[in-house]
Amino acid sequence: MGGFLLRRVAGAAVMLFVVGSIVFSLLAVVPGDPAELLLSTGGGSATPEAIANLRATMGLDQPVMQQYAAFLLNSVRFDFGTSIIDGSSIADNIALRLPRTLEIIAAGALLALLVAIPAGTAAGLRAGGRFDITASAVNALLTSVPGFVVGTLFIYLFAQVLGWLPAGGYVAFAQDPVQHLRMLILPAVTVGLHLATIIFRMTRASVLEMRGHDWVRTATAKGLSRRLVIRRHVLKNALGPVITVVGMQLGILLGSTVLVEFVYNWPGLSGLLVTAVEQRDYPTVRAVILVVAAIFIAINLVIDVLYSLLDPRIRLQ
Amino acid sequence: MTAILEVRDLNKHYPVGRKGLFGKRMMQVLRDVSLTVHPGEVLGLVGESGSGKSTIGKAVLRLIDSDSAAMTFGGHDLTALGPEDLRRLRKDMQIIFQDPYASLDPRKTIRAVLSEALDTHRLHTGAAREGRLTELLDMVGLNPAFLDRRPHEFSGGQRQRIGIARALAVEPKFIVCDEAVSALDVSIQAQVLNLLADLRVSHGISLLFISHDLSVVRFISDRVMVLYLGRVMEVGPADAVHFHPQHPYTAALVSAEPSLKHAPHRIRLEGEIPSPLSPPSGCVFRSRCPYALPACADSVPPLRPAGDNRLKACIRDDIL
Amino acid sequence: MTAIPASRFRAPAIPRRMILPGVLLAALIVIPFAAPLITEANPIQISVRERLAPPSWEHWLGQDEFGRDRLARVLHGGQVSLMVAFLSTTLACLVGTLFGLIGAYFRGPFQFLTTRLSDVVLCFPPILLALLVVTLFGPGTVTLVAVLSILYFPAFSRIAFSEALRVSALDFVEASRALGTPSRRIVFGTILPNIAGPVSVQYSLTAAAAITIESGLSFLGLGVVPPAPSWGQMIRGARQFMNQDPLGILIPCVALTLTIYAINFFCDRLRDTLDPKGNGGGKDTTSQPTSDGQGGGAAGDVVAEVRNLRLDIPRPGQPVPVIEDVSLTLRANQCTALVGESGSGKSLSALALMGLLPGAIRQSAGTLTLRRKSGEMVDMGRLTPKQLEDVRGNDVAMIFQEPMTSLNPVHKVGAQMVEAILAHRPMPKAEARAQAIRLLTLVGINEAERRFNGYPHEMSGGMRQRVMIAMALTCEPRLLIADEPTTALDVTIQAEIIELLQKLRTDYADGLSLLFISHNLGVVAEIADRVAVMYSGQVVEEGPAKQILTDPHHPYTRALLESMPSSHEEAHSTRGDRLQAVEGTPPLPGRRPSGCTFRDRCPIALASCALDRPPLFGGSDRHVRCFRAPEATQEAA
Repeated sequence: MGGFLLRRVAGAAVMLFVVGSIVFSLLAVVPGDPAELLLSTGGGSATPEAIANLRATMGLDQPVMQQYAAFLLNSVRFDFGTSIIDGSSIADNIALRLPRTLEIIAAGALLALLVAIPAGTAAGLRAGGRFDITASAVNALLTSVPGFVVGTLFIYLFAQVLGWLPAGGYVAFAQDPVQHLRMLILPAVTVGLHLATIIFRMTRASVLEMRGHDWVRTATAKGLSRRLVIRRHVLKNALGPVITVVGMQLGILLGSTVLVEFVYNWPGLSGLLVTAVEQRDYPTVRAVILVVAAIFIAINLVIDVLYSLLDPRIRLQ
Repeated sequence: MTAILEVRDLNKHYPVGRKGLFGKRMMQVLRDVSLTVHPGEVLGLVGESGSGKSTIGKAVLRLIDSDSAAMTFGGHDLTALGPEDLRRLRKDMQIIFQDPYASLDPRKTIRAVLSEALDTHRLHTGAAREGRLTELLDMVGLNPAFLDRRPHEFSGGQRQRIGIARALAVEPKFIVCDEAVSALDVSIQAQVLNLLADLRVSHGISLLFISHDLSVVRFISDRVMVLYLGRVMEVGPADAVHFHPQHPYTAALVSAEPSLKHAPHRIRLEGEIPSPLSPPSGCVFRSRCPYALPACADSVPPLRPAGDNRLKACIRDDIL
Repeated sequence: MTAIPASRFRAPAIPRRMILPGVLLAALIVIPFAAPLITEANPIQISVRERLAPPSWEHWLGQDEFGRDRLARVLHGGQVSLMVAFLSTTLACLVGTLFGLIGAYFRGPFQFLTTRLSDVVLCFPPILLALLVVTLFGPGTVTLVAVLSILYFPAFSRIAFSEALRVSALDFVEASRALGTPSRRIVFGTILPNIAGPVSVQYSLTAAAAITIESGLSFLGLGVVPPAPSWGQMIRGARQFMNQDPLGILIPCVALTLTIYAINFFCDRLRDTLDPKGNGGGKDTTSQPTSDGQGGGAAGDVVAEVRNLRLDIPRPGQPVPVIEDVSLTLRANQCTALVGESGSGKSLSALALMGLLPGAIRQSAGTLTLRRKSGEMVDMGRLTPKQLEDVRGNDVAMIFQEPMTSLNPVHKVGAQMVEAILAHRPMPKAEARAQAIRLLTLVGINEAERRFNGYPHEMSGGMRQRVMIAMALTCEPRLLIADEPTTALDVTIQAEIIELLQKLRTDYADGLSLLFISHNLGVVAEIADRVAVMYSGQVVEEGPAKQILTDPHHPYTRALLESMPSSHEEAHSTRGDRLQAVEGTPPLPGRRPSGCTFRDRCPIALASCALDRPPLFGGSDRHVRCFRAPEATQEAA
């Protein structure tokens, strides 16, 4: 187990390094002067002083290898420099907004797990039955609605027509807990809905697959009750693949939540990111992506370890 | 008589799993295996799982690379051949597989399967093609009307016949039969064994017949080679090895074979087959051998003559 | 085998289930590109006076916040979305599949490159990677296509790689290599067609995802550049006016969702068609035994009885009879062997006796009775599911052919044994544990304590089969059903397991009755007291093992014995000897011939054999189902 853990951690570290290198080198492969490119919003070109200034702040005037080393070193220390737009500290901006994004994702994932795992299990156990057919059909439809469409329609329905919930915005929890939670509901449900469709599908397929294995017949032959057979010999085995998918999807969610936040005016990473992309604030974009990729890699590391606890064979590979 | 296939000191490692953070563990599946197949001869290879018998079959066809060996086939140095020469030489050596379901491409008709063989070596092109295809199906006892069908329309035994037809298409001199009848029910197995025996007589093809079933191997082979954990235990004429084994492992194997006629005096083997990752020192069989001596652990027993055209890798002569 | 006209297979027909999704998808793809035929309105023609105008004759779907024709915008927006999505998916598919194929076939550095590259790209959440590139290159259609292709090619290379790896390991690829077929032809002619299914599923999945991302980016204002229309942008524009003009958001939302749904629907059906996985194949559900009410009245030494068992696969119209007529009487301390080739129905007969028939099979006739430990004979068909659970493992236990898959890999061996004990005998865990370890020692497992705490994958096949036997014995059943218990094992291990079973029959508890299922007559000769030979769903001969194996009366039994090389020790192929093989193959359940099911392979069949199914002839000790057997002639006389 120790060796397994060490290998996985080492693997994750290597991955992080590669991701960092790619993010850094993207700017280097762009044709032309990066500083000039970044300042060329809206067609107009920037003044030579502004370009020189940006070069200095981003360290673009130094040799590439030196820039690279500095970038990696600073990234490890969570120092991403300053925004080109307003000169604020990027690390501070991220530290302020990341928890809000994670909050939506956590709330959405929780909802999704609570609904989709029981539903998927029920559908998988009675595959071909009425519940399975209905749930699978609804699921297929819901999978097809992009998050920002769900969000837009939710706002129209729950905020505009019914007036039950605010259309968006954000209040800190400490300031007004009730309003904070009211504002959290729609974004969390929107994020959770898509995740739930994926988890439902995976759980159903996994349960269906595990039910067909020989050891399930062995368990029945031993005289275990159906309830025990399902719990110990179907569900426990089915959980591994589901966890893996949840891990992968959480990572993808870190990205697609940007859209949901945008729809609901939730001031998470998305606001920072969208403005940064519009303004070509490359250092900010790069930092956000690095942080998100790091979280993604960390999540998958945790999932790997969890899976290995569930299935001892994994540790051998 | 010059041999068609001559193999000296065939060795094969596989990397398995990991050792520490970066190291790889090596598993030696074949050690110093030497064998000779004469024209028209059937050499049987027997052994249990992990004995390396299938690996030998693939290594002599160069479907996998071996670590070190001197192999000559029909006068060509097999290990020195370049890709193109090897490709051309494949016309003379073929293989028949165990699993009749995995050995045919489900998407190809029988015509396409056989034509691939003929096209590759530019045989029977043009007008002669149709006649050759018919002839091939005739040879393996299938109705030529089946040519445009796909594998899923055939039973296991029929598929195995198609596999044999594919091997015969290029008129090979040598065929590896890798557990070719093991997956078949006994009545179908008899049909296919008879077919192989007939083809061997009519075409003078040499076979390397790999199987875990001793009585099948005895019936079809001229000579038998017994393998255990990647090493040769015993070689000799089929009937002699089967009825008068000289090596304790062969004796145990024969005695373990379930038999209809008599309850044999069973030689009990202790424990399980050791892992190829950590085989015993000296004689690999000593950990389960009822006759093992302390000396068996010292050095690997060489294959030495043991009577009429026979070899064995055992230091004792006073048993059996 | 019945003849099927060859022409039927020249052009594979489109499965019927693909028609609806195919038509729907085709319609949704074609309609946007047919825009000029549907409306002449210009999608970017601004008309401020008519902003947010409701639907009218000139503008069927009304006009948007700039007074542009909404129908034209939806159609032209669809063109852009579909073009971006399919162009990038196609690029990703071509590049990715090529990478995957090369990596899988040539291995080595190609493999490393393929897998690592995918790992790295997959680390970036898709939208973020797209945003990163947009930051550098600015928004626009070309940027989108490039980004999406890069984003999705790893998914293709991954799928192509793992599928190609799977296919390359199949014997038919090895056969092509052995034939000397050039690599290029193997990769593109043999491997590629065989991975086309999963790749095309991935293609539709990706196309749907690409549309989602494209519209999402456009929605953020970072995708397609205005004034070119796109669905994402339309939603973005209409958001501010959703109160006055809900139609404005509904139309692009519906268009977008419908398109994605059509692709997903197509993809699901495609997946089901390519890789059919039957529902209800779960081994947790069993078909309930039934009863003809003929049970009871069995002699005191009878442990179990199967009488006139008939099993069907229910089909609309005519059910397919898998088992036609099986009767067996199992007596105390006796080993009965059920012998036959694959498909003869021997395993199903045994599963029926355990109440473990797969859900897809129905017992349509016959009675299964079993003696419980209390001495009472019970009719399995009259037991409730709860009572059946109590019988299984307690009065009758079973071991299976595949020791590698019959134990659950995620539970420790000990836990799997303890749960079997506790299912029938509530006791403290420590006691159950002690009993399990005792049993493991009994079946010859060294270091039983250590193995108790180990996982199945740490054991060899022979050891796992010993564990299965120990587990079956936990509740001291009277009857043990062994379904090909040694078929998957090496011959020396097989001999040990047979020896163990022999020992248990006499040494264990009050003695054990065995129902031993095998295709190997040699093994049967060693262990069985009685033999029942099955052919095509019927018992064709039954009686004392010695008599049947030395003097078979049914031509099929004779043929089985004759075709074994081990029954001809004096024969050798080089001396011109041939095995006596019966021609042909056993018939499938739905295609059995009239009369005797063996007649078309039988060397002694008469014309009259085609008339009626032969009954079982014979007295009390030996039965045979053949009109030409001595028993039949005796009865006739």
